[in-house]
Amino acid sequence: MDKINFRFLLIFSAILRVFLILYGEWQDAHMEVRYTDVDYLVFSDAADLMASGKSPYKRSTYRYSPLIAALLMPNSFLHHLWGKFLFSASDLLVGLLIHSILKLRGVPEKLCTFSTMVWLFNPFTFTIGTRGNCEPIVCAMILWIIICLMNDWLLQAALWYGLVVHLRIYPIIYALPIILVLHPLHFQPGKKPALVDWSSRKSKSVQGSSYMRINGLQGIRILLASIFTWRRLVFGIVSGSIFFILTGLCFYFYGWDFLDEALLYHLTRTDPRHNFSMYFYHIYLHFEQEFSSLEKLISFLPQFIVQLVLVFRFAYDLPFCFFVQTVAFVAFNKVITAQYFVWFFCLLPLILPWSNMNLKWKGLACIFLWMGAQSHWLMWAYLLEFRGKNVFIQLWMASLLFLASNTYVLINIIRNHAYCPVFNLLKHETSNKTTKYD
Amino acid sequence: MMVPPKTPIWMISPAMTSPNPHCSLCYILQSKQGARFQRYAMEVQHFQVQLYLAIGFGLIFLVMSSNAMPTTHEEQKCFGEKYVTKTYFKIHDSLIDSQFEEFIANKIPLGLCDVHQDERYFVPRLLAMHRNLIGVGSHRQLSSSIRIKMQGESKSKLPAQSCQVIIIEKLPSGGFADPFELQHLVHRGVFTDVAVLGDTNLELPSFRSNRSVVEIHLDMGYNMSSGVKDELKINLRLPLHARYAPLGHGFSKVEFGQPDLLMRCSFEGKAFDGSCSFMLKNDDVDYKASPIIWEVPCGIKEHAGVVSAVTFLSAIVSALLIVKTSIYHSHNTIF
Repeated sequence: MDKINFRFLLIFSAILRVFLILYGEWQDAHMEVRYTDVDYLVFSDAADLMASGKSPYKRSTYRYSPLIAALLMPNSFLHHLWGKFLFSASDLLVGLLIHSILKLRGVPEKLCTFSTMVWLFNPFTFTIGTRGNCEPIVCAMILWIIICLMNDWLLQAALWYGLVVHLRIYPIIYALPIILVLHPLHFQPGKKPALVDWSSRKSKSVQGSSYMRINGLQGIRILLASIFTWRRLVFGIVSGSIFFILTGLCFYFYGWDFLDEALLYHLTRTDPRHNFSMYFYHIYLHFEQEFSSLEKLISFLPQFIVQLVLVFRFAYDLPFCFFVQTVAFVAFNKVITAQYFVWFFCLLPLILPWSNMNLKWKGLACIFLWMGAQSHWLMWAYLLEFRGKNVFIQLWMASLLFLASNTYVLINIIRNHAYCPVFNLLKHETSNKTTKYD
Repeated sequence: MMVPPKTPIWMISPAMTSPNPHCSLCYILQSKQGARFQRYAMEVQHFQVQLYLAIGFGLIFLVMSSNAMPTTHEEQKCFGEKYVTKTYFKIHDSLIDSQFEEFIANKIPLGLCDVHQDERYFVPRLLAMHRNLIGVGSHRQLSSSIRIKMQGESKSKLPAQSCQVIIIEKLPSGGFADPFELQHLVHRGVFTDVAVLGDTNLELPSFRSNRSVVEIHLDMGYNMSSGVKDELKINLRLPLHARYAPLGHGFSKVEFGQPDLLMRCSFEGKAFDGSCSFMLKNDDVDYKASPIIWEVPCGIKEHAGVVSAVTFLSAIVSALLIVKTSIYHSHNTIF
């Protein structure tokens, strides 16, 4: 019965996306404002260039790995909607993977389905795939990596991780929690790792046990000594190799264009044009001068400290750690565009079953506050860009308000979350390591 | 030896994932080597999909490398002179008004039509040109309304086959045209051809960018064989976008000058066969002397200190709040 429900959900979502893709075609042809995202045209042009043997970087503003252009090559010889169908299919795959992860962690079917609906029927997410944005593919890969880790498929996880970091740089922030979660006491050769069931999330044994608590300097020494386990080394080496091999191949074929556009641009991006980030006006006002190292450090420090603290607090509850890290990363980034929100929307359903926040009224308050701050910003941006009014200061304050709303929502989510590690400790028969971790 | 079926992703459920799929190869290994190698065998099996994907990507790369040519600059000689401005940019690096005027007067490819020949044929004359900036905000349209008189001096011995009006807009550094948008207009038949030359970076603010030139071609399809005095009316709308202006005190002015107008006609006749261009000058025409000014909002310099201080302070405060919540929301973790 429940399986039928979920299948019905998937089919309905698929139909919705097909309809939106076809509607997008109609709107592009008949209306002034296009439905298709500009990025999709950039991908298609780059794919056409690649199909005729040239570099995709001849297309200006193409800032991705050549692999994405390669994926879209059927746009030129098959149909120009191939890309959109591919992205929407990844979108549905994300829904499926969310459902799988929740089932693996023992969440009851109804809650599973409801959480998956948060992704499948989120208006933001179904428009992003049908408008031709490539983010659903990246989200699908991240979720698959989580599944691989939960099933102890180490090599696979490492391979996909290397690939996804090559495609989009931001998943590098997940490196530390993954390394931490690959703790030897979570895994045992020959057996599936024991996952903590959802129903035990409130039990004291999970909350109260002080396993692996570090006490003082000796504890830190023990932690550092155990950092280089073979599992972590294998993961690091394999994913690092995949990343460097792919980057090296792309560099070999496309030269410095590839490095500048696909990698360095994202790492050093300071766009003075208005975007959700609070830093935009500061960057615009100082664009004529170079930024001093001190300024760069000060702007990087909050991001860095927040990421570190979040990782060391929540690493063992991996999906939750990924979620809070992503929200914080996007909120403190120098440039924020709307497509970055998909990065944490795909992780939101994974944490909902463990949240004590009720939809009424706290949940709704968070939603409305976050969306309200966005709409407020969009209003000022419209006045600036389409009405030509000088509202830079107001727009900047709107972006500060957006940061405040992000912080508020994140704090509330953290406070109302029932922390639940993904893996249970396994007792090794032969090792006496357990005695050290008291 | 039975190979177990590969578990497709969409069939993952707790029942599927907990026991290891039966694998005879693995039993053999288990008896000989132990659990670790069995696990690797599992890994390799699950690895198959990834292997196929990697092979797929590898094939794509191979195809690309076999097709890939070094970045050739495809100089299509016959089209090298299609755009007048392209020739200018071959000689000069950036757009300077005086240099461009000199270029137009002397060095146009295909040459200016010599109107002092014995064979008198028609001479187009610019009657009127009205310019306007339509719209509000950062995305506007430069509208030009042009009237050209085609004067036939005599019953033509040299019928012009077709004429093309070439409009060369020298854009100031505060504005730019999106080449892709203009190509879209070409596809829709609004222009015959269009090219954006010079600095075509769509993203830099204006003090970091150089000027660009938009060259628009409009086919008139004008046939002069009838030798009738006629008037051509052209209404042109060029979509433009404002760059981020240099800092100032509220609004920054972007000034548009007059375009250069050429008419390129191709002739077929006994005495003259080929193409040449007529220069349509503005000075014998009544036109509005006042330039078009676009006011673009700009950042205010005086704000710099306060904005930076408040931005960094907000970032630090938010970071501290998140850190405090994470640390004091107690549950067991590493620290």
